[in-house]
Amino acid sequence: MNRRKMLSLLGLSPALLAGKSLDAQQSQTSAKPAKASVAQPKVEGLNPKGTPPPIQLIPMAPRLDSLDGKTVYLVDTGFEGGGMLLEQIRLWFTRNMPTVNAVFKRKAGPYMEDDPALWKEIKEKGNAAIMAIGH
Amino acid sequence: MGVPTTPMVTRAFKELAILNVAKRGMPHLRITFTPHPVAAKTPEQLRAYIEGNDPISGKPMMKEIVDALTVPLSDDEKKTGIVRVSVGPEKYPPDTPKNLQQFYHDNGMTDFLPVIIPTEEEVAEMLKGTSHQPDELVGAMAGGAYPPWSYTVRQVAINAVMAGCKPEYFPVILAIASSGTPSLMSSTNSFAYAAVINGPIRDKLQMNYGIGALGPFAQPNAAIGRAWTLVSRNLANGGIPGDTYMGSQGNNLNYNNLIMAENEAASPWAPLHVQKGFKAQENVVSLFRGLGIVPGQGARGTSTDTPKYEEQFSDLFSVFTGFFGGLVVADPLIAANLKERGYDTKDKLIDWLYKNTTQSVKDYKSRDFAYGFDYPRALKGLEPYKTWYAMPDDAVIPRWPHRDDINVVVVGGQTNAFFQGGSLSYTVSVSIDKWA
Repeated sequence: MNRRKMLSLLGLSPALLAGKSLDAQQSQTSAKPAKASVAQPKVEGLNPKGTPPPIQLIPMAPRLDSLDGKTVYLVDTGFEGGGMLLEQIRLWFTRNMPTVNAVFKRKAGPYMEDDPALWKEIKEKGNAAIMAIGH
Repeated sequence: MGVPTTPMVTRAFKELAILNVAKRGMPHLRITFTPHPVAAKTPEQLRAYIEGNDPISGKPMMKEIVDALTVPLSDDEKKTGIVRVSVGPEKYPPDTPKNLQQFYHDNGMTDFLPVIIPTEEEVAEMLKGTSHQPDELVGAMAGGAYPPWSYTVRQVAINAVMAGCKPEYFPVILAIASSGTPSLMSSTNSFAYAAVINGPIRDKLQMNYGIGALGPFAQPNAAIGRAWTLVSRNLANGGIPGDTYMGSQGNNLNYNNLIMAENEAASPWAPLHVQKGFKAQENVVSLFRGLGIVPGQGARGTSTDTPKYEEQFSDLFSVFTGFFGGLVVADPLIAANLKERGYDTKDKLIDWLYKNTTQSVKDYKSRDFAYGFDYPRALKGLEPYKTWYAMPDDAVIPRWPHRDDINVVVVGGQTNAFFQGGSLSYTVSVSIDKWA
């Protein structure tokens, strides 16, 4: 690295190498006239966003007339606390709607993995599902 | 699924839940909200939750759940069809650079530091950095727990301009974008991302892999990493707090990520991309994801005159979760010392670390990632989790599930024998040359 570049990096003016004093350099700088303010030209900026996929609307499944005598799956997705919350819901059904058959299931795999076997089981053996997403 | 279903979500994730179901095609899905959090609560507290009201709707929670499953559907809830989502015009009305700068900030299209305004002229210049056509599809990336967005070479170029890249950096940005890996992740964890760049392009771009290599001392290191974040933000719609970003505390590394050019000339070992199956003369970017990186100073053994660096690495990693891989970022001085002591390949070092960095089964099971991710895998019969969960609490097991979870790169300017340890998992290596 040459001395001129080194002085610049140290925050000192390379003009020192030419024998000029720092004071003289500073006064020279401050003596410069302020630039007249100039209106900024207008430019067009481009949109940086990507292309979102279209959304396919999915109709919800028909609702039940009531939960009496029905099997309701309580599905824990695996987040902390979800299983304990669902246990309280199971107990609530026992106390308040005893004809409901509440079945607790923990979804297989980590929370972000699908569990088609469980969805198939619910469709075959269940009438409704409550899914608790904990945290 | 075909049977009436209702989700329960804690109130902290209200926006996320509402937007998620809408973007997945069920904008009217009946959601019941609970107080937050539900974790670490007693059964009595949780009973009080469900016997109380939904904190968002104010309605009794269990009545709301029963109604969600039994009240007949409205016409809106039965709708089918396709909804197309607009992201606005291709270009914005002419304005001063200062006003446009603020416009980009106000609309969440920046990292809130000044950007280069992406004009047609700037983008045309950036496109000279690749032989690929502007309308070529580069890939798709999911910013959050949503279906991914797609993007073209031109759309990536707009973001590369904003980040302050030169056209010669552009193939690196395209390679990263083609991986579909966002650097902004939706998890409540505040993830960090890293990219290791190998091959002659490091010198062509004048990347810094010497003194201060991980600091803000070189334009390509800084701008390439920043471009990754802007790509994730704009092309994938990532990084919107409460929607596509839920990191509770955030991560400062998300500004421009950890961009590391390996110091290949000073390393006694094969560079990372060669380990991953590429040729030494190829230009490659390798991506990592995890929780972050910390300096090794303070690890056991750092004050000795005859340092055993492998033991220091192991000690540092003993505080990390094994859920993410271990990434050793060693100064060339350390690499040279290890080679003198018999570690003539990175693989030998990795073998030692895998065998000697251990934990008890009890400690392992107590970690949050083990409960959320590994335990469900154990239940599915996946190894080594199934075996680990069947072992007694005092049994000793490796820190990481697999030997390949450990990686080593050599970075630094040899002013001292220091290292850093990353809780970072290798994800993929991508050819940069393909995008030149």
